[in-house]
Amino acid sequence: MGEIKFIKTPEKRRIIEELSRFGITEIPFLLIDWGREKIRAFSGTLSKEEIMEITNAARIDNMGIYFLKREETGLRPSIEALQLLKNQITKNIIDIDNAQMQLWMRGHDLDIKMPQGLYVIRFEGDLLGCGKSNGNSIFNYVPKERRLRKN
Amino acid sequence: MRYEMKPAFRERMEKLLPDKEDFSAFEKIVHTQPKNFIRCNTLKVSPDELMKRLNKKWRVVQPYSEYPEIMLIDQVLAPGELGNSIEHLLGYYYVQEVCSMMSPLALEAKPKEIILDLCASPGSKTSQIAAKMENSGTLIANDLKLDRLKILSANLERNGITNSIVTQRDAVALCANLSKMNFKFDRILVDAPCSGEGTLRSSPKTFLMWNEKVINNFSRQQKKFVAYALKCLKVNGVLVYSTCTHAPEEDEEVMDFAIKNFPVKIETLNLPLKCRPGITEWYGRSYSNEVKKACRIYPHDNDSEGFFVCKMTLLEEIKEQRENKWER
Repeated sequence: MGEIKFIKTPEKRRIIEELSRFGITEIPFLLIDWGREKIRAFSGTLSKEEIMEITNAARIDNMGIYFLKREETGLRPSIEALQLLKNQITKNIIDIDNAQMQLWMRGHDLDIKMPQGLYVIRFEGDLLGCGKSNGNSIFNYVPKERRLRKN
Repeated sequence: MRYEMKPAFRERMEKLLPDKEDFSAFEKIVHTQPKNFIRCNTLKVSPDELMKRLNKKWRVVQPYSEYPEIMLIDQVLAPGELGNSIEHLLGYYYVQEVCSMMSPLALEAKPKEIILDLCASPGSKTSQIAAKMENSGTLIANDLKLDRLKILSANLERNGITNSIVTQRDAVALCANLSKMNFKFDRILVDAPCSGEGTLRSSPKTFLMWNEKVINNFSRQQKKFVAYALKCLKVNGVLVYSTCTHAPEEDEEVMDFAIKNFPVKIETLNLPLKCRPGITEWYGRSYSNEVKKACRIYPHDNDSEGFFVCKMTLLEEIKEQRENKWER
């Protein structure tokens, strides 16, 4: 990792504005651009200067958690981002049943017709990540390492 | 496939456990599978809520009333079953042997502290520490090898750890650099690489791989890790040293080295597992009586794996010397 790029307040405001489609009004973390596409969230109390000092002592592999991905169509929150902001998420949610959850957590798309856009997938209160609707089905983004395996 | 103890390992264990019945109980249990322990990730879910969910699929008990986050799945499970539940994939619990939970308990991390986990992968103890810190303060989780860092990062990610900085550096070099910068920690965990004698139940190949020669090499490395880690500790800061081996060269001898070379005080531990005191004599070597305060965890005492934990406090600042006596 080269220079750590902390996201400044105006950009953070823009991010919150974009995520307001889910009801999000606040992100209580330091946001960091990580590579070309990813944004990570860090809740640690070290100052930016102290963090930069650590880079002189060791290679920083990562900080905090993978929070958002920048895509052509906009920002997509990770499963962890949704869990961290769970109490704020009130809009654009798709509630699924147990059979759909089993499919979703195995990496399958869901045959649910919704207007195009990004949705939060929820099962009995658990937020299972974001899915993207193309109007006919919901595209699955659950990463391989977070999927249920066949028994 | 049943592996047997190599003669030299047997001889050493018989010396550690001179009572025949005691040794026999040890020998018997190391050929059995360990129990299925998990730790509730309190950053995401309360122990009560997790118990309600898991009891719908398994028989779950909380064996230690003071530590409701420690849970035992008290039934036979299919291979990989614990890692393939929705609760695990969402990071609501971590599959972790109960012994390995002891060093974070000994560390007693508090919110807002600055903490270093020097040999952090795969992240079970790191995530346990982060939970105690309530994702505040800062937790530096270090490891050397890239493949181990990937596992560490994936585990921290799944457990929603937001206060961590994962670094890749040789432990000694990291501490040397940080101490030069006068970067100091409230607490440090040195869960050192070791010969792994305590992992026979979960990893029976340790019977085959055990090699007496590596013990002294590990011991030298472990002493260096502790010596350099102490230099990065605040005065009155806490260092917890742990291994998953019974070898005194890697356990009491490392603590004895710390006592004799640095201004440290060994603390008494109060852990929920049965602990035996550290030993003070081993093959003609004598260790400080203070090492009796360390905790030896034997598999047959707790139906667990084997482990060693010791906790120390730094009493005064370590003065930098041009040449360290202990490095000669």
